Amino acid sequence: MSCAIRGGERRFALALFLPALLLLVITTALPLIYLVWTSFLRIDLSMPWLGGFAGLDNYQKLGNDPRFWNSLGLTLIYTGTTVVLQVVLGLSLALLVMQVKRGQAMLRIAAILPIVLAPVVAGLFWRSLVLAPDFGILDFITRWLGLGSYNWLGEPRLALASVIAIHTWQWTPFAFLVLLASLAALPPDIYEAARLDRANAWQRFWHITLPMLRPAIVIVVILRMVTALSAFAAIFAATGGGPGSATEILNLYAYRLSFTELSVGYGAAVATVLLAVTLAVAFLLFSFRRKK
Amino acid sequence: MTAASVQMSGIVKKHGAVTALAGIDLEVRPGEFFSLLGPSGSGKTTTLRILAGLESVTEGRVLLSGKDVTNAEPGERDVAMVFQSYALYPHMTVSENISFPLRMIHEKKEEIENAVRDAAARVRIGHLLDRKPGQLSGGQQQRVALARAIVRKPALFLLDEPLSNLDAKLRLETRVELKRLQRALNVTAVYVTHDQEEALSLSDRLAVFMDGRIVQVGTPEEVFSKPATVDVAGFLGNPPMNLIPGGTEGFQSLKGPDVILGIRPSAVRIVDEGVHATVTMVEALGEEVYADLMVGELLVRARLREGERPAEKAQVRIHLDPTALHVFDKATGKRL
Amino acid sequence: MKARNLVLLAIAVLMMLVWTFPVLWGLVTSLKTEKDVLAYPPSVIFEPTLRNYADVFRGSQSIVPNLISSVIVSGLTTLLTMILAIPAAYALSRLDLPFRKGAGFYVLATQMLPPVGLVIPYFLILRRIGWTDTYQGLVLVYLTFALPFAIWLLVSYFEEIPREMEEAALLDRAGRWRALWHVILPQAKGGIAVTVIFVFLNSWNEFLFAVVLGGNNVRPVTVAMFNFISLEQTQWARLAAAAMAGMAPVIILGLMAQKHIVKGLTVGAVKGGGRR
Ligand SMILES: Nc1ncnc2c1ncn2[C@@H]1O[C@H](COP(=O)(O)OP(=O)(O)OP(=O)(O)O)[C@@H](O)[C@H]1O
Ligand SMILES: [Mg+2]
Repeated sequence: MSCAIRGGERRFALALFLPALLLLVITTALPLIYLVWTSFLRIDLSMPWLGGFAGLDNYQKLGNDPRFWNSLGLTLIYTGTTVVLQVVLGLSLALLVMQVKRGQAMLRIAAILPIVLAPVVAGLFWRSLVLAPDFGILDFITRWLGLGSYNWLGEPRLALASVIAIHTWQWTPFAFLVLLASLAALPPDIYEAARLDRANAWQRFWHITLPMLRPAIVIVVILRMVTALSAFAAIFAATGGGPGSATEILNLYAYRLSFTELSVGYGAAVATVLLAVTLAVAFLLFSFRRKK
Repeated sequence: MTAASVQMSGIVKKHGAVTALAGIDLEVRPGEFFSLLGPSGSGKTTTLRILAGLESVTEGRVLLSGKDVTNAEPGERDVAMVFQSYALYPHMTVSENISFPLRMIHEKKEEIENAVRDAAARVRIGHLLDRKPGQLSGGQQQRVALARAIVRKPALFLLDEPLSNLDAKLRLETRVELKRLQRALNVTAVYVTHDQEEALSLSDRLAVFMDGRIVQVGTPEEVFSKPATVDVAGFLGNPPMNLIPGGTEGFQSLKGPDVILGIRPSAVRIVDEGVHATVTMVEALGEEVYADLMVGELLVRARLREGERPAEKAQVRIHLDPTALHVFDKATGKRL
Repeated sequence: MKARNLVLLAIAVLMMLVWTFPVLWGLVTSLKTEKDVLAYPPSVIFEPTLRNYADVFRGSQSIVPNLISSVIVSGLTTLLTMILAIPAAYALSRLDLPFRKGAGFYVLATQMLPPVGLVIPYFLILRRIGWTDTYQGLVLVYLTFALPFAIWLLVSYFEEIPREMEEAALLDRAGRWRALWHVILPQAKGGIAVTVIFVFLNSWNEFLFAVVLGGNNVRPVTVAMFNFISLEQTQWARLAAAAMAGMAPVIILGLMAQKHIVKGLTVGAVKGGGRR
């Protein structure tokens, strides 16, 4: 197609697209290359005179670093549980709310609130108003129910559960809203046809609703996974990664290494691993999605 | 404005592995109402879009009034188009829609106003100028699209099934009006349709498309009375022509075995002496009756007057008018 | 039937409570004195006071400069993002862009990059060129998440506009620029508005880049929350007031644009996520 029409259109298209593309390359591709390069350096901001090329030292150090393995495991647990919880809760709630004739609008407004809140504020609110010992509402409820008082953010296991709960609280509305809209968009006549074909409620869910919602569910899983893998602010605000390193997912670990402990080179190595994990997950998800 | 002529030669259009057009040659004379007729997927829309410049060609040349426009932008061709979906700009009022092509070449304000009023009057939507397309009926939208196309006084007028979204009655009325408009404006029109009745009644000449090729070009009478191939014969007419393989039981006397015989349903008569047939179905359409007749294994359709209506399941005898026979070569499908 | 409805109602009410509680309780807390905050059991009846708001808007702990920082950073980010994203999204969705698939995938992939992976090189680079704690530095960095997101959202809106619109405009001699300007953009107005809202929300709520790359000059309000938390003592009531003040713009925006936000979240998802 050596045609002038196409030629003109291509030039026009490039003129429109190139500014954004150039900016994206400058602000993402170059920094990432720089990140990987940095991971081969020894950079310690507290001891700048020690800098230099370190080869694979940083990566060798990773292998023997229990804190790294801990954070890698926490990342997987955190991502896996939050995504599953969001999708299961979001779908169940959407199915329930589909039955509610009036008041759906109010529910939608309520669901918007957590989404528009800055994650850092969500973390702070939970840390103080919900989970704080002695005056948090949860403490009040457990005591009132006679279950005793817990230090939600002070005990390692409880703290992990708490940050998972915070993330799930903030983002389940997203899954809920998307799935609710998808449910509402399903053509009603299909259900009527299925009824005539003698499918009971459970069969209708399993053979019609679920397959037809599949694209939406896949999208929700992808988007929620991306958010979970880049989670930072809420945990930072609620626990700072602690107690100890109980809630220190890779994001927190790389941050603390680079900007609290100031060993930027090693932090870059951790961040590079995180990048690889994210890209691997994204690749898996997309090839899974392409298979349809 | 002078009516344009169109010449397309050797046009090939491929979408990857799909060949939409496999070599098209076409000539439209100035002032002609020319239809592109053919079954779905035969390449009519593609041809029209190539004329408009909305689609590039893989091979071949397009000339408008003798000028090579193969690579020209759509806006440079002095061509107006009415889309099947009308493509009205939903955020503009009717009058803004109509004036758009004039505003784009910075026509003077008063001239635009006059032209819009004139175009709107011609299609009788003068009272709708301040509405938005969303507030119009389908027929009114179609008129706005027409007005937008005629306001710029183009040399060539392209229409892609402009009537297909209208109901039957409106379609008939608009059809007449369209032709009147084309004549009054003295503009060349290329009209895409898969409705043969439309094509036959509107066109000065028409081209029949099959599988990305043009199989016949001619006046409606020529194409209808002398279909060039078996495929055209099987496509035209309502119901279409009966096609009888030569040498079929009962019709041996008519021609040899290496031909295909075509006979219009209206030329099939029920008589006292002739070939035995069984009536399998009768479809009554007011003044006329269509009858499905089985001659052995072969289905023959007949178009009869209401008075001749046979009973279903009846045994009858039929006769084919030998002067109305069309004969095609069995191997090539060409008319003999 | 009755019982089932009651159960549904109970669940719906519970959901609303759970989702709105932190914000509502934050509002209540921001009207208490520090002493009331620490009361056990949590008090619902107390004498409301606006002291905390006075404190966070005036005096040594004022967050007004931080609000201004947030407005500037988010506003500039939104403006630049839209200027770059609208043409790019149009090219990506409607035009014969060379390497379109690859380009689209690249934009999508940049949206998934973990910010922590980016903030380390940004820190080193911006420090070297002296752009830490500057508006230009932070806005440039914010574009990295705002731009790909905006492009993808806009692509799905552009795809909803029938192709015949441009074709008609081209035949009407508008040319490509004017076809975009007069015909496509007016029809994409809704989608553009939604995108503006989302980009602004995301920029306003950003924290990681702000805390690492900001400083005393440029200190968005999300970072300023931590002014009220120190090792010795946390001023919970003032923190709540600062949070309510800092979140008021996005909460109001969110509630006002509620319908559009749901559409923005679901665009793509409902349609099967865009085919590319
Ligand atoms: N973008 C495309 N990609 C691949 N194939 C295409 C494309 N556009 C058209 N085709 C194919 O080209 C052929 C001709 O299409 P065209 O639209 O011209 O048919 P048509 O005669 O207008 O049919 P209809 O009466 O249904 O509108 C069809 O087989 C169609 O599938
Ligand atoms: Mg067509």
